[in-house]
Amino acid sequence: MASKESLDHGRTDSYRVATIGPIKDDNRTADGQYKTRRKPPAKKRKTGDLDDLKQELDIDYHKVSPEELYQRFQTHPENGLSHAKAKENLERDGPNALTPPKQTPEWVKFCKNLFGGFALLLWIGAILCFIAYGIQASTVEEPADDNLYLGIVLAAVVIVTGIFSYYQESKSSKIMESFKNMVPQFATVIREGEKLTLRAEDLVLGDIVEVKFGDRIPADIRIIEARGFKVDNSSLTGESEPQSRGAEFTNENPLETKNLAFFSTNAVEGTAKGIVICCGDNTVMGRIAGLASGLDTGETPIAKEIHHFIHLITGVAVFLGVTFFVIAFILGYHWLDAVIFLIGIIVANVPEGLLATVTVCLTLTAKRMASKNCLVKNLEAVETLGSTSTICSDKTGTLTQNRMTVAHMWFDNQIIEADTTEDQSGVQYDRTSPGFKALAKIATLCNRAEFKGGQDGVPILKKEVAGDASEAALLKCMELALGDVMSIRKRNKKVCEIPFNSTNKYQVSIHESDDASDPRHQLVMKGAPERILERCSTIFIGGKEKVLDEEMKEAFNNAYLELGGLGERVLGFCDLQLPSDKYPIGYKFNTDDPNFPLDNLRFVGLMSMIDPPRAAVPDAVAKCRSAGIKVIMVTGDHPITAKAIAKSVGIISEGNETVEDIAARLNIPVSEVNPREAKAAVVHGTELRELNSDQLDEILKYHTEIVFARTSPQQKLIIVEGCQRLGAIVAVTGDGVNDSPALKKADIGVAMGIAGSDVSKQAADMILLDDNFASIVTGVEEGRLIFDNLKKSIAYTLTSNIPEISPFLAFILCDIPLPLGTVTILCIDLGTDMVPAISLAYEAPESDIMKRQPRDPYRDNLVNRRLISMAYGQIGMIQAAAGFFVYFVIMAENGFLPLKLFGIRKQWDSKAINDLTDSYGQEWTYRDRKALEFTCHTAFFVSIVVVQWADLIICKTRRNSIVHQGMRNWALNFGLIFETALAAFLSYTPGMDKGLRMYPLKFVWWLPAIPFMLSIFIYDEIRRFYLRRNPGGWLEQETYY
Amino acid sequence: MTVKKRVSDLTSLERFNMYYKEQEPNLSTNERMRRFIWNPKTRQFCGRTGSSWSKIALFYFIFYAALAILVAICMWTFLQLLDPRQPMWQLDKSIIGTNPGLGFRPLPPEVMSSVIWYKGNDPSSHQFWVKELSKFLKAYKRDDKKAGAGQNIHNCDFQHPPPAGKVCDVDISTWGPCVEGNHFAYHKSTPCVFLKLNKIYGWKPHFYNSSDSLPPAMPEDLKNHIRNLTAHDKNYLNMVWVSCEGENPADRENIGPIQYLPNRGFPGYYFPYTNQEGYLSPLVAVHLQRPKTGMLINIECRAWAHNIMYDRHEGMGTVHIEIMIE
Repeated sequence: MASKESLDHGRTDSYRVATIGPIKDDNRTADGQYKTRRKPPAKKRKTGDLDDLKQELDIDYHKVSPEELYQRFQTHPENGLSHAKAKENLERDGPNALTPPKQTPEWVKFCKNLFGGFALLLWIGAILCFIAYGIQASTVEEPADDNLYLGIVLAAVVIVTGIFSYYQESKSSKIMESFKNMVPQFATVIREGEKLTLRAEDLVLGDIVEVKFGDRIPADIRIIEARGFKVDNSSLTGESEPQSRGAEFTNENPLETKNLAFFSTNAVEGTAKGIVICCGDNTVMGRIAGLASGLDTGETPIAKEIHHFIHLITGVAVFLGVTFFVIAFILGYHWLDAVIFLIGIIVANVPEGLLATVTVCLTLTAKRMASKNCLVKNLEAVETLGSTSTICSDKTGTLTQNRMTVAHMWFDNQIIEADTTEDQSGVQYDRTSPGFKALAKIATLCNRAEFKGGQDGVPILKKEVAGDASEAALLKCMELALGDVMSIRKRNKKVCEIPFNSTNKYQVSIHESDDASDPRHQLVMKGAPERILERCSTIFIGGKEKVLDEEMKEAFNNAYLELGGLGERVLGFCDLQLPSDKYPIGYKFNTDDPNFPLDNLRFVGLMSMIDPPRAAVPDAVAKCRSAGIKVIMVTGDHPITAKAIAKSVGIISEGNETVEDIAARLNIPVSEVNPREAKAAVVHGTELRELNSDQLDEILKYHTEIVFARTSPQQKLIIVEGCQRLGAIVAVTGDGVNDSPALKKADIGVAMGIAGSDVSKQAADMILLDDNFASIVTGVEEGRLIFDNLKKSIAYTLTSNIPEISPFLAFILCDIPLPLGTVTILCIDLGTDMVPAISLAYEAPESDIMKRQPRDPYRDNLVNRRLISMAYGQIGMIQAAAGFFVYFVIMAENGFLPLKLFGIRKQWDSKAINDLTDSYGQEWTYRDRKALEFTCHTAFFVSIVVVQWADLIICKTRRNSIVHQGMRNWALNFGLIFETALAAFLSYTPGMDKGLRMYPLKFVWWLPAIPFMLSIFIYDEIRRFYLRRNPGGWLEQETYY
Repeated sequence: MTVKKRVSDLTSLERFNMYYKEQEPNLSTNERMRRFIWNPKTRQFCGRTGSSWSKIALFYFIFYAALAILVAICMWTFLQLLDPRQPMWQLDKSIIGTNPGLGFRPLPPEVMSSVIWYKGNDPSSHQFWVKELSKFLKAYKRDDKKAGAGQNIHNCDFQHPPPAGKVCDVDISTWGPCVEGNHFAYHKSTPCVFLKLNKIYGWKPHFYNSSDSLPPAMPEDLKNHIRNLTAHDKNYLNMVWVSCEGENPADRENIGPIQYLPNRGFPGYYFPYTNQEGYLSPLVAVHLQRPKTGMLINIECRAWAHNIMYDRHEGMGTVHIEIMIE
């Protein structure tokens, strides 16, 4: 009896209950602990506001008489406000618009980018450089400019990367702005007896406004006059049925009374005149939006990971820096030298380009997702979707097509399945039987829905219809079955009609016949099946009229129950040929006091409608399930409908039973069933209201397949909090304003691009442009891929840190000439390593990433011990060995054999010594030594590039062999060529010896790193071979990152 | 050690609960640190048990041993390719290039400094410099009693360049005041500084082959000296000339007259240097005959030949000396 119940109670009911709530949510769990993830109420005032919002709307505008209302607002139903009063009110209350959520000021955002993360460390480095230069400048006549340049370069690096990330961030927020409704809303207002068209923002309390169908309600209004006025409150309450509104006060609850219409809901039918009672943030909509912006959202998982990683690297940098600062002192270095060492260690330790790389990788993925209809508002949300372990999905519009469609028909005592697919690819049924013809005629004629104009090219199912959703479904079904419905209606002119109302629960109309041989009037009726059946005495079966006996009634009941059990809304259809002698053409039918028969009609059949699931959804749900993601359906719909849809899309998988199902199967009361036996659960909103958080946790824990039906937005929030309490990373979809608190609270809120309200888009992190659940799954896939690829990218970038740091350590500890300078380090971090690291974002997944569990946010970190062990302990060490080998080779080939170099540092770096002897007795001037040293820096740099080739290739895969993975990532192949070309450019461009102190290398000096490059490649292939051979083995536990 | 179940073996509930784990109780940072360092429950030290530590240590030991072997092999192979007598790259192919600089002795005790600073009337203060010079010149001393040493030394002059495998002698014993017995004249506040041209393997100077083609930048007194010297012996053209001057006008006044011993340059027969056994760099002793005391004097000494470029800032073909006598 889905239809009946949903007509009796609006969804507003549960909404009210939830908004009041038996106990206020004090942000504590049952045992008094503060709920996890939410900060304890630090600011009293703020929580007070929140509680305020959760309170029932405390207004009496709907209760008082209109006259008192006019009095109160000093207005007049015909003349409206005076201009002066309106102006005064506007000045007092401000414009009638929602205050946009508090934005962080742009300069704060900019500063965050400029001083956050590694930037602070680099600033310290830069400042130390300037200090060192300043001291040198004041003590030495001709100070070396190195420190000044390095300081400038470091500052430039920080500023450029800061500006870059700020730019990326503001770009993605610009996308959002395009979503804001730029078309100004207008309202028709009566002021001083004149009708004016004003912008909705200029409305004030007490204004008399006129609203007609198609308009958006410009403010909360009390209706004083209405003609067939219906509003669609779905964005506020989730109730998809249009609700009629009139002047009469029907309910204490402002959300249910008929004489109020709310801001930003839509008028779908009729016209009305009303008085503005609440404006802007005081409207119901405004309060909910305020509730959403009052919730604080935690950091995104990727932000947490990056912070974790930054802490790690900063810790290492500071530790090494300070240690060597102290060691340098103990070894008797001048403190200025020690400071310069400190700078070098900081520069070597910080992967300067990495944060920019991460931003670019996320941007690339965001773009890719946008092309797959997932628009990401917040870059970090790209990855959040990948770590999602629970999706709380809306039903209407997301899982379903949001289009009532005729799913089944019952005539000739059999149930016929209609085609509900989006593209009409389903089964076809016999359209020639007399039963169908009769049913079709009633459905066509007893129907007030019409196609809106100007949609000639649009497929029938996608056309917009003016009218009620079920009538639209019938209209479309008939248009598909019979062709041009409007011409049929024209041929059978309607002579009289009683529209549907909730007391009769039927709709009836009388039409002239288009059959010349049979000029009798035809009466057609549709309505709630049991009411229709009551009015019938015969039934039309197999082309013949039969008496409606008990047997037929039984058949009817079975069909009705079966269709109802499918969660479908069922309508009954009957007709009657009015005898022409009694009702000749031109007969005056009276609808107020029916002068025609409404009993003893001929029953024809049933038609049932449902909002069918989207075609791609079952697949997507199955994908989620194999990806270890729990899909929870949260809907305001009736449990039966919800369950039916859940079953048809696989949210409740085949063979899984709810407690009720088990009870029915075993024929025992529900209370005797062990709830642990049931994997599926359908939880009713009223039930949910009774549960404390522990019980909710239990439900979320022990049932794998959960449907929450008849839930209110507040409850959605509770469900999200429950999942988060259990440690899940929750994605929530929603379109209505009422969903925005849950969207905000969720780790990732997903709003609907088409059906979504502005407020929900505001609160969400991601927007599905096609409203399709399947797009979320692509999003998950992309999110997981980017997490994997970021790991690879970071592993790649971090590896080169070891060959960058170790020269400094050797310089300090072994007193050898510096093998790699700070400038060359920056060339690696910001030059050659950048493109390859970014190109790893394009790497294809190694295995089916949708076949594994979501990552454990507590254990599976972006940068973990194993990654550091691999990058720093193993590959990095081989790279450092390569660099040092090249260094010693060049030194030896030019005259300084390795042993000669140890302990030579002081003489080497002394400008006063112009004749340093090498192993062959040659004497080197300061300039020549430095040329040799910088050649070594260049060669060390080049050898890092060479070993990074192998590192890039091994970072492509974490488990598979490169043979298996292939080299099809062209961005990466380009990266290999790019880094090589850049290295050659830096080395061989004339003038580089002056600018960057990079010297041209002999070709043979590229070669010494090759054996090390090969050994990196071979070592890692072997390692991965063992990983594949011994899954879960020791090597995997220690080296699989 | 617990055997980790593969994901596919888990029931859906177990799988699900894997991701809905109980959060760990909140510990203070201090407690967490302490538990990290030593966790008595799991017997873990710094997050690992004893066996885990030994395994990872063994792994890294083997790994680094293998890496060390790789480096050793590479290094050994490379060193086999090197000639112990001559550098692999020479002259233009080497970074040392073909432009020798000058060096001076004695070197100050502080590596970064080029100031020779002592008190003229205090023997203990110039003792350091004298010792330093004696040490440097030890190699030049002929000790006849020591057999073997200096056996390939040959007394060369312009007509008698050294035969193959022999090196030319530098006889420092006759250099007037700049001898050890005279404390290199340091005690008289007229110090001697020894100059030498940097050795570059295989480098040969291109001499100014006539006294008319001397570069205009050459100091007049050196030009005159060359003209005088070569007037009667053309052989003296085969010299790498040396000039020392005060860097600034004030220095030029303070420096006083300079005497060059034994010649104002390095005779050509010492070149090229090919890492011969016992090779002695030719020296020029620069005797400052009347330097001003109590003043820091900046001296720049320059070597002159066609193929010696000069750049004061880069130290090419030149050396910078500071002298301060109190």
